[in-house]
Amino acid sequence: MSATALLSLERVTKRFGGLTAVREVSVEVRAGDLLGIIGPNGAGKTTLFNVIAGYYRADEGRVVFDGHDITGRPAHAIAGLGLTRTFQIVKPFGNLSVLDNVMIGALTRLASTREARAEAERVIAVCGLGPHAVARARALPLGLRKRLEVARALATRPRLLLLDEVMAGLNPTELGGMIDLVRRLHADGLTLVVIEHIMAAMMRLAQRIVMLHHGEKIAEGTPREIASDRRVIDAYLGEEFVLAEA
Amino acid sequence: MARALARHWGALVVFGAAALVPIVVRDAYFLDSLVLILLWGALSAAWNVAGGYAGQVSIGHASFFGIGAYSAALLGARWQQSPWLGMLVGIALSLAAGAAIGYLSNRLKGPYFALSTIAFSQVLLIVASRWRAFTSGSEGIPVPFRPGFATLGLGHVAWVYLALAVAVLYWGIQVWLEHSRFGYRLAGVREDEDAAQALGIPARRLKVIAVTASAALTSVCGTLWAQYVGFVDPFYVFSVDLSVRFALNTIIGGMGTALGPFLGSILITSLETYLRATLSGVKSGFTGIYLIVYGVVLILVVRFVPDGLAGVAGRLRARRARAHA
Ligand SMILES: Nc1ncnc2c1ncn2[C@@H]1O[C@H](COP(=O)(O)OP(=O)(O)OP(=O)(O)O)[C@@H](O)[C@H]1O
Ligand SMILES: [Mg+2]
Repeated sequence: MSATALLSLERVTKRFGGLTAVREVSVEVRAGDLLGIIGPNGAGKTTLFNVIAGYYRADEGRVVFDGHDITGRPAHAIAGLGLTRTFQIVKPFGNLSVLDNVMIGALTRLASTREARAEAERVIAVCGLGPHAVARARALPLGLRKRLEVARALATRPRLLLLDEVMAGLNPTELGGMIDLVRRLHADGLTLVVIEHIMAAMMRLAQRIVMLHHGEKIAEGTPREIASDRRVIDAYLGEEFVLAEA
Repeated sequence: MARALARHWGALVVFGAAALVPIVVRDAYFLDSLVLILLWGALSAAWNVAGGYAGQVSIGHASFFGIGAYSAALLGARWQQSPWLGMLVGIALSLAAGAAIGYLSNRLKGPYFALSTIAFSQVLLIVASRWRAFTSGSEGIPVPFRPGFATLGLGHVAWVYLALAVAVLYWGIQVWLEHSRFGYRLAGVREDEDAAQALGIPARRLKVIAVTASAALTSVCGTLWAQYVGFVDPFYVFSVDLSVRFALNTIIGGMGTALGPFLGSILITSLETYLRATLSGVKSGFTGIYLIVYGVVLILVVRFVPDGLAGVAGRLRARRARAHA
């Protein structure tokens, strides 16, 4: 384990009954990284996030965040340390306004509701949700709910943000906006781990990519290396992708 | 100040009217109704802290009502203690029982939680009605009337102002829940526990705190009610009817709104008082009639104003605001 790792997974295993959803996965994320995670449906990507963020307890292995062993700690305590996540199936506070949703995130670090409201307004503007601030969260279309998911997490001022398919289901305009947003956050110094199926987006964003397959890490490298890795092509990308990229 | 007035005009009207009534009306029957409206309103507000603001719908809050009622009645009847001391004992017991119920809400969700709260109140009913040596069993216990504030032996007018003070306090607690950090985070827990935890919110702890506070607030009103009515009957104070009433007043008035429980209480308590007066010749099955009335009102509210009476007031205000814009 290198001394500079912000997050390190050490041989993490998670089983559901007889199914091993994540098997002995080791990954390191250094401060300032933007790490991508890819893999076919059911590969164990979301399960890995759930283990890191404290929603599931790892059966084996350790999760270390910023020097703290967070294995088995409750989710809220991990978020309190500055590690937070979004949900693949978005979980807005449906009956509350966009502003209130993001404000609740801001109240993680701020004691005053007035300051939290100001902070929420700032984050909402950064995420391009300004015109929708007073809308009820459940009334938003999917593209905006995905943005809200990111905005709410950002308002907690995380040091590490896990994004679970925040680009899935977006139209091309929304997708472009989301890619820009993630880029900007990264440029501002945020460390991110991003799960995404959209390879084109991943190739443009990630510095490094980890490929999961049947719960195992089968490849890791730069986007270039991943795109030309035989195992990745066979298991996930297919020959068409390689031809299209060439 | 003007903003606060604009936001809380409904509360000002309701509580202001209640404060003025005893000055102009001396009719004991009318004042009695007013005390009950305020007490049932405060009780529904107490229920709202758990059911509306924390999303933990209990149908067993009669448990805490009964604990408060019995604590004061037993201490008064058996040991000649002040009901205020009984109130404190009731609060302590309800805090413990509320924490247990709150803990349960982390294990059981939705209907399972609601059912377990009913079961809890039924267990207390059995204990209170069977433990003859201590509670006088199913006969119930009279609460001695000893004039004075220290013994809560008050006249009608004094009771109106005491109930009003409690009502305003409980309303204020709810308003605080709408504007405080704790309240915002609790709303997050109510809406989605997983998402709340991702924001660093200790969801389970917040739920337990809310349910426990709700229990203690209910207990205080149980004590007051016992002193006001002067008699504690186990089949009444631990009844499911009573638990349903707290919930129903709030649902009809508007869950998770500060004024809703009081609006619901005004509607339901007046209706009930009216029916009691008009149907006083009819001997049998009052409770049955009230259930039908509850049911009809509930259906009408769910059909026409799903966010409750307070929701209607909110919409009227929004319309006025637009008209002025
Ligand atoms: N709570 C659970 N209980 C039982 N099995 C689960 C649970 N969560 C996930 N699984 C199983 O674990 C495996 C990995 O699921 P996971 O959701 O992590 O995949 P994923 O890589 O995120 O897939 P996708 O790309 O479709 O989101 C799947 O076979 C899934 O059915
Ligand atoms: Mg997934």
